[in-house]
Amino acid sequence: MRGLRRWLRLVAVVLILAGIVAAVAFPEAAWNAIQLPLFAFFSTTRMVVAYLFALVFAIAYGHTAATNKRASAALLPLLDVLQSIPILGFFPAALIFFVATFRGHPIGIEFAVVFLIFTSMAWNMAFGVYESLTTIPADLEAAAASFGLRGWLRFRYLAFPAAIPKLVYNSILSWTNGWFFLVASEIFSAGGTEFQRPGLGAFIAVAGRNGDIPSIAIGIAVLAAVVLTLDIFVWRPLGAWSERFRMETAPGREIPRVPSPYERFRWLPRLPKVRKRIIASVQPALERYHRLSLRFERAYTQHPKAVREIRRVDLALFVVVFVVVVATGLVGLVQMFLRPLPPNASLLPSAAVLSFSRLLVAYAIALVWTIPVAAMLGESQRAARYLTPALELFASLPATALLPVIVGFALLLAPSVGAAAQLAAILIALFSMQWYLLFNLIAGVRSIPDDLKEAARSFGLRGRAYWKRLLLPAIAPSLLTGSITAWGAGWNALIVSEYIQYAHQFYEVPGLGSLLNHAVYPTPDNEMLLLTILTMIVVVLAMNKLLWRPLFRRASSRFRLEV
Amino acid sequence: MVDRPLLQVKDVAKSFFENAKEFKVLDLVRFDLTERDFVCVVGPSGSGKSTLLRIIVGLEKPTSGEVFFEGEPIRADNPQVAMVFQSFALFPWLTVEKNVELGLEAKGTLPEERRKIARKFIDAVGLTGFEDAFPRELSGGMKQRVGIARALAIEPLLLCMDEPFSSLDPLTAQNLRDEILQLWTNPDLPPKAVLMVTHAIEEAVYMADRVIVLSSRPGRMIAELEIDLPRPRNRKEPEFYGWVDEIYSLIV
Repeated sequence: MRGLRRWLRLVAVVLILAGIVAAVAFPEAAWNAIQLPLFAFFSTTRMVVAYLFALVFAIAYGHTAATNKRASAALLPLLDVLQSIPILGFFPAALIFFVATFRGHPIGIEFAVVFLIFTSMAWNMAFGVYESLTTIPADLEAAAASFGLRGWLRFRYLAFPAAIPKLVYNSILSWTNGWFFLVASEIFSAGGTEFQRPGLGAFIAVAGRNGDIPSIAIGIAVLAAVVLTLDIFVWRPLGAWSERFRMETAPGREIPRVPSPYERFRWLPRLPKVRKRIIASVQPALERYHRLSLRFERAYTQHPKAVREIRRVDLALFVVVFVVVVATGLVGLVQMFLRPLPPNASLLPSAAVLSFSRLLVAYAIALVWTIPVAAMLGESQRAARYLTPALELFASLPATALLPVIVGFALLLAPSVGAAAQLAAILIALFSMQWYLLFNLIAGVRSIPDDLKEAARSFGLRGRAYWKRLLLPAIAPSLLTGSITAWGAGWNALIVSEYIQYAHQFYEVPGLGSLLNHAVYPTPDNEMLLLTILTMIVVVLAMNKLLWRPLFRRASSRFRLEV
Repeated sequence: MVDRPLLQVKDVAKSFFENAKEFKVLDLVRFDLTERDFVCVVGPSGSGKSTLLRIIVGLEKPTSGEVFFEGEPIRADNPQVAMVFQSFALFPWLTVEKNVELGLEAKGTLPEERRKIARKFIDAVGLTGFEDAFPRELSGGMKQRVGIARALAIEPLLLCMDEPFSSLDPLTAQNLRDEILQLWTNPDLPPKAVLMVTHAIEEAVYMADRVIVLSSRPGRMIAELEIDLPRPRNRKEPEFYGWVDEIYSLIV
């Protein structure tokens, strides 16, 4: 706890110093940067709004899928598809839809941005809720049933608490995703027009286009500060708090005591009087809520027939909406394929191969460095203590925000503009992929039971044999989980990585991402847009179904560490 | 005084189906429970004892046969029947007191009343002072005490226990057995009858008035024995061992 506070203070001091130096050296940039706190506030507000929607959606969707067998037959495959499609590809379409709906009013763009962030946050959270609800121990379910917990009470005391650990864990992931898309979406060209909303992402992107290096640095520093602050004051305390809701796996296995979230705020003034007054004013409302929920519960249980009716209507509505959406989509698709394909369509296969190879290179680089580093961090407490904060700081920066920095770096290294564009595309993919691998692997190494490590040591397993017999098999499931997530992020990064505007110049490489960009700007071509998105979906789904799922099933049955 | 049995188990049978193949776990189990009955069901593993208990409390439906409680078909959320679990099944996110209040809240008891009842039963199982502790801070024996207090708090007529001592160490288990018998002798405390499932024959002979012996795969009733040893029972006496040996020879 102390170490972390010192670290926080250090970061704050470094950021402030950097800010002062930049402000003195570049007064104009400093003038620009005065608006930054406001921009940061706008960006964070968008994230919070999208997150609240995602949270409600995830709980409703996951709960329905877990408790309603008939609905889950449609809900689960749908979620599977939604989760694996590259969302950014849909953004131009969504943007045009929202802007058209609100007749060009800026609020339409805001809706589109929030919608995009929502789509990057919701799916994994819904899966988390579904998973936790289907893995509640049978005895706990039985206890709830035999003590008469039903409906709302069951949700409050069993389902919701049981979902909290995975919900919090996935919320953290979702926020990381969210920042990536926020930065990409605050400034966007679609249909020949550029849409822009004030925010940190737009600030950094504009600075990048103008090649304004001090502004880029200041923008990234502010973004890092916002992300870190939220991480330290919201997500870590929440993560520690959520440990309380974890099921005990095996009797006799100690779970470390977690510090209370309030310990993070110890340095804040306590103001006992104010607190007492707040509690006193909240208390009646809480009691009223309790009484209301009790009455609600009674009404609920006394009319099982009405409740069943409501459920049936709900289900019917869902099915109708689902069928309508799917049918419109299918009709649209058939219409498109009946017409002759646009001439550019012949580019699609080669573009897919090129994009895939770029992602593959990035994935290979990520593997080469993350496996040894994860092994080291997972095994050595000291290394972890010193390196993890630095890695987390890097990881907290969305790759989209680092865009200008990466292009600048690529320009320094590469001999020609074309090579620089290739290098930048690979680096951006690397930056969006590697952290998922690294943090999943670290968790995998940490989860190897001490008994196994000690057994390996006592039998003299060292070096290569240790890696081959213990470490690699033990981390196989986490490696696959990390890989699936990393590739998902990689596909999403394509649209920003293959077509970059930096310092008044375009850096472009052939691939699905650049095809997408061309389809929306400068010559909008909806058919090409749809075809490119479809190609991407087909490739991603094929990879998931044919490669990752079978591998994952094998790994989790063979290399699972039974407790 | 007792004209109607509290619990009637009528020819209960249960099968599971897998790949269109039938696996029979229970066959024609039939017995009654009246007030002040302490009955143990013993059987080797695979005799379907736990399945039987889950059917009796209404958590599972039998393939054929019926279970009546006070003359009515059984329902899972019947507040007159409470259950104690082998794995304790405490809600890890609720304090001891909240766990004990759970069934009361489902019944719609008011908060102050709930608190009073919960405290009374936490006290009865000897956990005074641990009201605000979370289950993971307790030892196994203490967790099971919470499980017992939670079951007693809804003041059930029938208390069902599914191998309540088999995940405890022997010493803790013996203490808890004695305490349950102590609670059982106090007529002011709720359950009118206790039904316990166990695989430990000694435990059954030590605690029960009546022992129902099940065979293995499928579970059929082999015997129903009236244990007429005086209480408190002494495990060292030859009569005690006579009973244990008799049941043992029935099962093997």
